[in-house]
Amino acid sequence: MELSNIEKLLEKYFEGETTISEEKELKVYFTSETVPSHLQKYQYLFKYFSEESTVSARRDLKLTAHNKKSYAWVGMAASIALIVGLFMARTGPSEPVDTFEDPEIALQETKKILNMVSQYMNEGKEGLVYLKEFENTKNKFLK
Amino acid sequence: MKERAFITLTNTFKDKLFRLSKRLLVSSEEAEDATQEVLLKLWKNKSKIGTYKNVEAFAMTMTKNYCYDKLKSKQTGNLKIVHNNYEDGQASLQRQVEAKDSLDWVGKIMESLPEQQRMIIQLRDIEQYNNAEIAEMLEMNETAVRVALSRGRKVIREELLKKHNYGVV
Repeated sequence: MELSNIEKLLEKYFEGETTISEEKELKVYFTSETVPSHLQKYQYLFKYFSEESTVSARRDLKLTAHNKKSYAWVGMAASIALIVGLFMARTGPSEPVDTFEDPEIALQETKKILNMVSQYMNEGKEGLVYLKEFENTKNKFLK
Repeated sequence: MKERAFITLTNTFKDKLFRLSKRLLVSSEEAEDATQEVLLKLWKNKSKIGTYKNVEAFAMTMTKNYCYDKLKSKQTGNLKIVHNNYEDGQASLQRQVEAKDSLDWVGKIMESLPEQQRMIIQLRDIEQYNNAEIAEMLEMNETAVRVALSRGRKVIREELLKKHNYGVV
């Protein structure tokens, strides 16, 4: 390209009046051809620009943000379950239901069970007779 | 929108987000964080993606705002962090080193520009967006974009000239 043309373009460039395609021309001129020494300083400029446009990010993008949404649902489900649970617990234990038709039989059954319990209690207490002996001996010495 | 579709959509402009945040935050690590953060935010609001006029421009605006917040919190925290990106440069030829050095100077000059000019030059000269797109991304009007662009470019020219003539910036 003609030198005078380049100089004109440069002047326009520094006024900020060049178009993108004119700037491309300048870039091509300064990065490929050997330039006269008085324009050499601009070569650094345009070389820098074209070099910088090749820099790229090295780190890959990791998308982990979408997990948050599901946690919100878990919280909501848990609170609903808690409220329902509390409601059920309050109304849960209702009046006892009769298991026997005839009260006579019910009385006898209850007696049977209570007898069984006291029988086991007495069996267990038999072992405690020895303790009485200890008590007696102790009382002999300590009055 | 499915994960795969989202990733293919964002991959078309992910690097641009990274470069913009790197331009503002300087450190590569922080720029990676910023890119990740912006894309995750976009993913969380994926149901709204269809309503955006231009997802890419929207993501760029998000990146700009995110980086501004980062810079602001750093300033208020009275914390001055000097960023260095360590690289193992292959010092093979003297000239190669010199050329690399001169390219780094351009980067350093750009770092000294105000954030707005820095972003505009990044978007225009490196990403090749037109002024209307830049105005939309940065929430400015087009004339202001053109003025800031010209101002930024002229500063770079002056600094380069100084460096070229005296070897100091």
